[in-house]
Amino acid sequence: MAYSEVDNVSGYIGNFKVTIRKKARYVDEKQCNACGECAKVCPVAIPDEYQMGFSSRKAIYIQLPQAVPSSYVIDMKTCLGNNPIACAKCLEVCEKKCIDFDMHDEFVTVDVGAIIVAVGNDVYDPTELDEYGYRSYENVITSMEFERLICASGPTEGHFVRPSDRTTPKSIGFVQCVGSRSQKRGNPYCSNICCMNTIKDTVLLKDHYPGIDLKVFYMDIRAFGKGFEDLYMRSKAEGVQYIRGLPGDVEEDPKTGNLIVTVENTTTGKIEKHEVDMLVLSVGLLPRKDSEVVRQLLTLSKTSDGFFMESHPKLKPVDAPTRGVFLAGCAESPKDVKDSVTQASAAASRANIVLAAGKIKVEAITAHIDPDLCKYCGLCVKVCPYKAITQTDRKTKVPAKVIEAACAGCGTCGAECAFGAITMRHFQDNQIYAQIDAILEENSQNKVVVFACNWCSYAGADFAGVSRLQYPATNRLIRTMCSGRVNEDFVLYAFRKGAPIVLVSGCHFADCHYINANRQTVLRVERLWDQLEKKGIRPERLQLEWISAAEGQKFALVMREVEEMRKKVTAKEVEFTKQALAPKKKEEPKEKKEAAKTQ
Amino acid sequence: MAQEADFKCLRCGTITKLPYSPDAELQERACPKCKSNSMRRIKEQKEARAAK
Ligand code: SF4
Ligand code: SF4
Ligand SMILES: [Zn+2]
Repeated sequence: MAYSEVDNVSGYIGNFKVTIRKKARYVDEKQCNACGECAKVCPVAIPDEYQMGFSSRKAIYIQLPQAVPSSYVIDMKTCLGNNPIACAKCLEVCEKKCIDFDMHDEFVTVDVGAIIVAVGNDVYDPTELDEYGYRSYENVITSMEFERLICASGPTEGHFVRPSDRTTPKSIGFVQCVGSRSQKRGNPYCSNICCMNTIKDTVLLKDHYPGIDLKVFYMDIRAFGKGFEDLYMRSKAEGVQYIRGLPGDVEEDPKTGNLIVTVENTTTGKIEKHEVDMLVLSVGLLPRKDSEVVRQLLTLSKTSDGFFMESHPKLKPVDAPTRGVFLAGCAESPKDVKDSVTQASAAASRANIVLAAGKIKVEAITAHIDPDLCKYCGLCVKVCPYKAITQTDRKTKVPAKVIEAACAGCGTCGAECAFGAITMRHFQDNQIYAQIDAILEENSQNKVVVFACNWCSYAGADFAGVSRLQYPATNRLIRTMCSGRVNEDFVLYAFRKGAPIVLVSGCHFADCHYINANRQTVLRVERLWDQLEKKGIRPERLQLEWISAAEGQKFALVMREVEEMRKKVTAKEVEFTKQALAPKKKEEPKEKKEAAKTQ
Repeated sequence: MAQEADFKCLRCGTITKLPYSPDAELQERACPKCKSNSMRRIKEQKEARAAK
């Protein structure tokens, strides 16, 4: 559906309901034969975004020559009012009578089984890098602008000219990594495509204008794909100069419009000045500005660079953490055409597996809600990262219910429910209480109770093990699927049973395997710190740590650190804690209620 | 300007300023000295009293 956007998504794998807003084109796309008479008479002229502002377009326009459907559309922001009396020149000339100023946005709802997210990317705006003079000097352009200038369907029909005087440049400089690989400005990550984009551009220019002088200023050339090194060699063989060093300053010669580039050549260690007719800034890729809307609609998560996070970087690289949602192209990270096509094909085939199967298998680790115990508070609905729990209603006493196909089994809801209404099919509360009991049964003063999440912290312990890293045997691990599963009462129970130190550990924020469930962990630990302090217990005795599966060393180090802390906890302190946290007489301890429920 | 608040490391005791805003998305926090994630916000006296 062209010229449309997703308005709402509900449901779960196999049963999504997607509401799409079909934006009003004000032109009947079925009738329009793109004759262009309307655009001829339209009095509005504004910079054409598609041509990067190198040419203009009308208020009634076709976004790009290959647009599908090949039909005009009216940009109401610039149209001289949709009041036909005000202008309506297009309406008068359209023989097919396909212009309709009264058109409205339409909403279409479709049922889909799987969703592929292919939102694309934005590009970096190099204005802030004032040493390069973009926006100050006409002949400094970005790689995106370059693409329009060299394109046969571009504003100059592929005749490459420089903006200041429309002459063909005799020399061009390219600056790499603009907005990429910088901790200070732009982004820290490599944008993946810029090296090869520039190399391709140099080869293209040498084909068109064999005598042209081309210089590429770079910090590394990363030509790692199939055939890429060959293309790099070809570019060099054709005489393109590769200078290792990024320019520190660019100045314009006001008479000629040429640019004087000052650069430290890091191969020779010398400061060099190069005069070029034009400078092309190889700008990096950014996540789409509006991808946040899609993230919220589909409950996806993002990595620290702002791109969508895949379910697993190695084993499920095209699956989103939300089941039934798949990622393609730059939605997930900066990619070139080949990688985008590869990923899109993989996403399509992954989606097809869901559709062809007609039913899905769910791991038996999901949550179960006992409707008789549910008090309709709705807290579980709020914390579930997958929107897998249906809305509760106090007034009509509608209890919460888990949609098993959407539940990932993180256990966050189980930890949140204050009424013991939720049972996790694995890692049940009574099993966890039993593990705490077992750990603290003997010599509790010498034990550190560690809650470790399955994916990261527990895997970090495994990694420490296979790496033969030693950590104190006093640390005793209890595995949970997610740190978000750790109920506040598990921690208090451990303290009541005489634990000197409790450690809650999980995945780093960016790696949470349940979208953002570990944010709930932080909130709970913070609440516990306050609670302990109020009761006169040192909050230090509850520790929090994010440890990835690869951080075996960190795991061992943290274990040693908490062991050192344990040694400083006195028996008197532990005794005081037991008293301070002892349930009030009338109150039945939660674990008892739990045990009664599961018996 | 990003808002900040004082945090205390519950591992080594370091007190430091880290980005914090009640409305902003939760950030992963680490102690600049010992790298521990047990960073507890030092709440204003008033706020603490109000919470009681
Ligand atoms: S948190 Fe517990 S009581 Fe509240 S709605 Fe969910 S299941 Fe019911
Ligand atoms: S276990 Fe996790 S995913 Fe499943 S319903 Fe509970 S909070 Fe949602
Ligand atoms: Zn510290």
